[in-house]
Amino acid sequence: MNLPPHNHEVSRRSFFQLTLGWLAGSFAVGATAAAAVRFLVPNVLYEPGQRFKAGRPEDYADGSVTFLEDERVFLVRKGNTFRCLSAVCTHLGCTVNRTSQGYHCPCHGSVFSNEGQVLGGPAPRGLEWFAVTMSRDNRLVVDKNLSVSADKLLVV
Amino acid sequence: MSDPSARRLFHWFQRTRVGRSIFRVGLPQSNLERAQAMVSSFLLHVQPAKVGRHALRPSTTLGLGLISLYLFFILIGTGVLLMFYYVPSTAHAYNGMKDLQFVVSAGLIVRNMHRWAAHLMVLFVMLHLCRVFYTAAYKPPREFNWVIGIGLFIVTLALSFTGYLLPWDQLAFWAITVGSNIAGYAPVIGSKLQFLLLGGHTVGQEALTRFYALHVILLPSLALLMISVHLFRVRKDGGLAQPDEPANTVQQMEASQLPTNKSYGLMELARGTTPQVGLNPEDEVFSWPNLVFRELLLFLATVAVVLFLAIFWNAPLEELANPIHPPNPAKAPWYFLGLQELVSYSAFWGGVVVPGVLVAALVLLPYLDRQRRGVGRWFAPERKLATTLFTIGLIVAVVLTTIGSVFRGPNWSWQVPWKQSSTLTEGP
Repeated sequence: MNLPPHNHEVSRRSFFQLTLGWLAGSFAVGATAAAAVRFLVPNVLYEPGQRFKAGRPEDYADGSVTFLEDERVFLVRKGNTFRCLSAVCTHLGCTVNRTSQGYHCPCHGSVFSNEGQVLGGPAPRGLEWFAVTMSRDNRLVVDKNLSVSADKLLVV
Repeated sequence: MSDPSARRLFHWFQRTRVGRSIFRVGLPQSNLERAQAMVSSFLLHVQPAKVGRHALRPSTTLGLGLISLYLFFILIGTGVLLMFYYVPSTAHAYNGMKDLQFVVSAGLIVRNMHRWAAHLMVLFVMLHLCRVFYTAAYKPPREFNWVIGIGLFIVTLALSFTGYLLPWDQLAFWAITVGSNIAGYAPVIGSKLQFLLLGGHTVGQEALTRFYALHVILLPSLALLMISVHLFRVRKDGGLAQPDEPANTVQQMEASQLPTNKSYGLMELARGTTPQVGLNPEDEVFSWPNLVFRELLLFLATVAVVLFLAIFWNAPLEELANPIHPPNPAKAPWYFLGLQELVSYSAFWGGVVVPGVLVAALVLLPYLDRQRRGVGRWFAPERKLATTLFTIGLIVAVVLTTIGSVFRGPNWSWQVPWKQSSTLTEGP
């Protein structure tokens, strides 16, 4: 490569050479890095679906709070109304336990009310309520992708 | 080689045609050969032919960095053995651990050694960091080697954390659930980072595969590379820090400043001839055997301690991972329990801000601390402020870790360890 005649002057030719070289170099490095990161982001997930059937309304006693283990939710029945509360602590993802006053997380001691509101501990927000609907074959359907407010009920 | 028969055997072998092709220098008999023994050996040449007496004194470094390196060697050896039986699958991983415990010959010992060496390595890397701080060995010209050291500290923690998931027991599953959720609190990229780390939304097969790849190839290679640079820089930055040393490395000096009694002429750095015999500093001795045998002894002692721990204390293995019920209390590895205690007050402050600021402060330390005095002395009186601040931070970390380790019982409620009254309370 021809060196520029002086330190401060860059010839037209070497200016284009440098610009093109740096652009090509940064593009090669940047594109490789971007492709590597994108490669690590999975396109297909083999996780269980977020929408599931929770059985017949009659399976749940009036006034009961039932823990559905595999789905990590509580199904709450009061009279003819159904609601579904997440059992995943909003702090760091542990499963909360049911207590007489509400819910308690064993990992870092967050306390939630029966309505899922934070009563104490480090949890940044209340437990999530999920949408409950009824399928055509008379089964309860919970969609864990759909968050709703605590006062939204399914009346059967 | 004090045993005459072993010495004679080596002498005989070294004089054969094959022996001469392997060992250029026999067992050193003269000072020239002692120097050649160091320079001509691949394994030894990273070290100088002669070494200052101060470097040999145990009080200079307490051997903490070397012990960390030896623990890393033990971890590579035992880790490669474990790979012959371990399968990174949620269906087989736990069975593999049980096989290692009950079926494989010496499997229990190998796994125990790996576990205790891993815990000890985290501990000794931390102690090494404290030693370098208290002897002010991070000051110019060693600033960048301190930064590499902080990087190695983080890589050590990452190695330990990724290895923690592999047994796929309750301890593993929930420690990683809690740990990866902390990553989710990072601003802006948090949830993306967590997704990338786990390869999904929850800890499952994808997460296990990822942690395995990180644990057995990516992070160890990175650690090996960084350790090599770290050791290389120790040499290039003038050996172990000592009082009254020149503040510049050889490379930063003008040719006229170079001392005449070293072989810089060979490196074409200075005009002049080969080293002048008899002009070497008084306080230097030959590395062979003074340094080499001390290092060998320390290595044997390290292996002995790890073996002792592995024989008498088994590595924990809880029941199979159950994504539905966290153990109560669910605890992270001990070196993260200080953070977990902080996280129990606020996940954002304890999980993101405090560790972030700590790492940034450690990395910037050698560039912020402009005071040049006190290098190579423990708790130098000129550094009273720095020593006090660091010690306060250290005490806070130890207190938080102790609280998280022994004073936290079920539901993360306060518990006094000598009153083991509280039993596990499982919810419905």
